[in-house]
Amino acid sequence: MGLRSFVALPVDKGGAVVRLTYERVKSIDTDTLTASAAYGIDEKRTLLVGIPYRLSPSGSNRYGDLSMLYRHIVWQKDSLSGTNRLGFLGGAIVPTNNNRDAAAQVGFVFTHFKNRNEIDVDIVFHAGFDNRPSSARYDLSWQHRIKPVEHPDWGIVPELNVVLELNGRWREGQNTSHQVIAGLQWIHPRWVIEGGVAKDYRHGNELNYLLSTRIHF
Amino acid sequence: MKKLLPIIFGLWVLVDVAFARTVEVEVHGMTCAFCVDSLERKFREMDSVEKVQVSLKTKIVRLETNENLPTIESIKKAVLEAGFTPTSITVRE
Repeated sequence: MGLRSFVALPVDKGGAVVRLTYERVKSIDTDTLTASAAYGIDEKRTLLVGIPYRLSPSGSNRYGDLSMLYRHIVWQKDSLSGTNRLGFLGGAIVPTNNNRDAAAQVGFVFTHFKNRNEIDVDIVFHAGFDNRPSSARYDLSWQHRIKPVEHPDWGIVPELNVVLELNGRWREGQNTSHQVIAGLQWIHPRWVIEGGVAKDYRHGNELNYLLSTRIHF
Repeated sequence: MKKLLPIIFGLWVLVDVAFARTVEVEVHGMTCAFCVDSLERKFREMDSVEKVQVSLKTKIVRLETNENLPTIESIKKAVLEAGFTPTSITVRE
């Protein structure tokens, strides 16, 4: 799974994953903490929720809107070297402020994993209600395992991945913004620490920073 | 009583060894440390499973059990519920 998107994460039946992401956006001088959680209804169906909280600058209205998504894996082909999966996404964006309107979400996520490489692609469209403008996002992520080069005969060892991502965000009435992220993931059986540097091509090529951790229950 | 203890102990070991078995499951779709953890935990929680070993190199999960459990069906079910595909199961007594 990539750094920005949460929808590619595989979750087992009855399993849960919690992720906390800190992001520093220089162009608007904002620090945000996003909490996300995923729960496996079964091996094909997953509930995904996420909510951002603005740490700074100070002031009211710190909570962003709650994103709720249901993912259904409609096609899966596992092999000795990896897996290919296609999932459909549907859900809603629930405002946490009376001044904002809700939106419906629909999209898909595709994962291709072979040997030491994983590619995740997701596209999600948000249809805004009332005064809320529609928006959309895409995430294209490539993760490559640099360590270990070869797994040991037995046992699960920590892994180190390098990550490259292209992320796009569109909002009705505005141009699409694109970002490129380069990062690393340190993966343990029960937890992950990951982070990256994002170059925002819409805001003067400024650099933003992400740091995230995931825990598997 | 002292003379009986070694006999009882020996019988207990015999019974334990008689039902000991090693089950090897070839699993497709295992990709990373984070995703495989759930499968390992599912097997560890099963009755009669004494040891679980996972190989991301050969895509094999090896279970050592001390009874005729868990059943092949429950092993397959655990792999499927973890989100992977069991392709072959080998039992060695």
